[in-house]
Amino acid sequence: MKRWNFTPYHQQIDEGLAILGTPLPEHDTQWPEWEVFVQAKRGGPHVNVGAVHAPDPEMALLLAKENFIRREPCVNLWIVNTEDIHATASEDDALFQYTFDRTYRNTTGFKLDKPTAE
Amino acid sequence: MTDDELLARFEARIDRGEKIEPGDWMPERYRSGLIRMISQHAHSEIIGALPEGAWIPYAPTLKRKMTLIAKVQDEVGHGQMLYRAAETLGITREEMIDQLLTGKATYSNVFNYPAETWADVALIGWLIDGAAIVNQTKLLLGSYGPYARAMERICFEEGFHLKQGYDAICVLMAGTPSQRAMVQDALNRWWWPIMMFQGPRDKDSVHSAELLRWKVKIKTNDELRQEFLTKFVPKILAFGLVIPDPELRFHEETKEWTFTEPDWDEFKRVIRGGGPMNKERLGVRRLAHESGRWVREALDAFVREGRAA
Amino acid sequence: MTDQQTTALSTMLLCLADDEYIIGHRMSEWTGQGPIIEEDIAFSSMAQDELGHALGFYTLLHELGADDPDTLVFTRDASAYRNSIFTEQPRGDYAWSMMRQFLYDGAETERLGALATSAFEPLRDLAVRMLQEERYHWMHNATFVRRLALGTEESRLRMQSALTEAFPFALGLFEPYDGEELLVAAGIAPAEDHLRRRWLDRMCPLLEEYGLKVPAHRDGDNWRVDAAPVLGGRQGRHTEHLLGILDAMHVLRSADPDAVNW
Repeated sequence: MKRWNFTPYHQQIDEGLAILGTPLPEHDTQWPEWEVFVQAKRGGPHVNVGAVHAPDPEMALLLAKENFIRREPCVNLWIVNTEDIHATASEDDALFQYTFDRTYRNTTGFKLDKPTAE
Repeated sequence: MTDDELLARFEARIDRGEKIEPGDWMPERYRSGLIRMISQHAHSEIIGALPEGAWIPYAPTLKRKMTLIAKVQDEVGHGQMLYRAAETLGITREEMIDQLLTGKATYSNVFNYPAETWADVALIGWLIDGAAIVNQTKLLLGSYGPYARAMERICFEEGFHLKQGYDAICVLMAGTPSQRAMVQDALNRWWWPIMMFQGPRDKDSVHSAELLRWKVKIKTNDELRQEFLTKFVPKILAFGLVIPDPELRFHEETKEWTFTEPDWDEFKRVIRGGGPMNKERLGVRRLAHESGRWVREALDAFVREGRAA
Repeated sequence: MTDQQTTALSTMLLCLADDEYIIGHRMSEWTGQGPIIEEDIAFSSMAQDELGHALGFYTLLHELGADDPDTLVFTRDASAYRNSIFTEQPRGDYAWSMMRQFLYDGAETERLGALATSAFEPLRDLAVRMLQEERYHWMHNATFVRRLALGTEESRLRMQSALTEAFPFALGLFEPYDGEELLVAAGIAPAEDHLRRRWLDRMCPLLEEYGLKVPAHRDGDNWRVDAAPVLGGRQGRHTEHLLGILDAMHVLRSADPDAVNW
C-alpha cells in the first residue's frame, strides 16, 4: 500500500511553520458587517439570510452574492450596514401581544348565518 | 427584575421551546458557553477546509475537482456563518481569529490528523461529514436563535457533502484492488479519530448538564456516538469493509452499541496541540492570514480615505 | 464545415479550454487560504466557473471527435497543452492573482463577446451562456483591482509590480494559433489581433484611471505596447510551472494505472 506522506505544494507548510511562533500584530481588520437580504422571486419580500464582512456597500453586494446565493434562487439583493438596523427590545415581545379580544379585526370574528329569505 | 427572576423567565422561555435572541437577558455561563461552542465550531470549519483543500490540485477527475472546491468552499462558508452567529453574543471576528491563531482556542481534533490519500478525502466527506450531520441536526433544535438559523443553511449543504463523499467511496470500492485497499487503509486510520469526534464520554464531560438544560446541547456526546454508529456501521459493513474494532457490536436488548474505547489520553494530547498535524494546520492558517493582511488593510484604507463611490 | 475548418476550430477550442482549465486550477489553490473569508468564497466560485467553462469547451471538442474531457485533461503531456503561458504561472501573492484575473477575464469577456456572434451555432450558444457568468467576474475583479491599486502604499506597489510583470504574459492570450485565418474568414471566430486591440482599449484606460502605469502608450487611436509578449503556449511550448500542475494532477492516476473510475 503506497503512502504518499503527502505534502500539498500550495499550502506552503514550511513557510507557515516558520511564522507560527511569531507574535500577532495588535491590530487586524475583518471589515464592518452588512446584513444581507435576498429576494427569491419578483414580487416577493426581501428576506434576511445572514451578514457579510465587507469594506463598503459595493463590495458587500459582490461578496454577499457568492456567500449566500450559490444554490438558491435570487433576483435581487439588499445589504444594510448592521449598525443601521434599529429594533425593539428583544425581551419586549409582550409589546405585540393583545390581551383583549381583537377578533373583530379578523374574519374569524364574524360567524354569519346563512341568509334567510324574507 | 432580580437575577433570579430573569433566570426563571429565561428558563421558562427555553422550556416552552422558544428561541433566545441576541438582545435577550441570558446567564453569563449561557453566553460564554455558546461563544466557546460556536467559535470552536467555526474554527473547525475553517481549519477543516485544509485537509481536504490540500487535495484540490490532485483531484483525479474534472467533476471531483469542481466538487471538492465547492465542498471546501461550503466549509469556509459555514465558518463565515458561525463566526457571525458568535458575533451576535458580543465577541468580534478579529478576537476569535486571534484566539485561533495564538492557540488559545480549540477546534475539532479530527482535523489534526493527516489526509494522506485520496480515499481519506472520500472518507472524510462520507463519515466525518456524516458524524457532523448527526450532531448538527440536533444543534438545529438548540435554544439560541442565530446558531439554530445558521444550522439550517449548514445542514442543507452538508447533505451534498455526505452524498459526494459516499459517491466517491462507492466508485473506489467498485474499482481496482488497490483502490479498495486504499479505502480500507483510510478507515483503519480514521476510525479512532471518528470515534472521538462527538467529544469525551459523558462521565468525563465537564460542561454538559447545564448546557443540556439550556438546550445549548440537545444530546449528550455518548448519545450522538450511538446514533452515528447506528446510522453508519451497517453502511460501512455493506461495502465489505472491516471496522478495526473487534469489540464493536450492537445489543438488541438494550439497543446500544458496545465498543473499544478510543484512546482518550490521545484525545487530550491532540486537543492541547500535540496531534500529528496541529502545527501544520495552524501554520497554514497563520500564513494565509498574514498573506491577506495587506489586502484587508488596503480595502479598509480605501474606504477611510473616502474613495468608495 | 470543411475538414480544415474543423481542424482549426478544434485547435482554437483546445486553446480556450486549456486556458480556462489551467487558470481554474491556479485559482483553486486559494480555496481555504484567501485573504478574508468572504473573498475566499467568492474567488472559489470563480475558480469553479472557469473549470465549468473549460468543461464546456472540452465537451464541444469531444463532440467534434476529440477524446472525452477527462481523458483530454488528465492524460496529455505538457507539449499537447495549448494554454497560454500566462495562465500556468504560479498564483503569486494576491495582487498577482487578482491582476491576472482582471487581465484574463477582460480578455475572456472580449473573446466571448465576439464568439457570441460566431457562425458556428454550438459555440455561439456556449459563449452566450459563459458571458453571463463573466459579468460577475468583471464586476468582482474591477472592484477589487481599483481598491487595491488606490488603497495603501503597499497595495499600490504590489499591484503595480503585478501589472508590470503580468502584462507581457497576458499578451500571450492573443498568440495566433494554427488555422486562425480559416476561422476568421468563415465568421466562426474573431481575429486574435482584433481581440488584442479591443482588450487594450478596454484595459489600459481603466488601469491608468486606477493610478497604475501600463506598459503601453497611446498612439493616435491605438495603444502601442512597450513590452514583448510572452508567447509559445499556443504551440505547446511551456514553462516548468505547467509541469508542476500536471505532476500534481497525475499523482493518483499514475499510482494506479489500472483504475478506470475515480
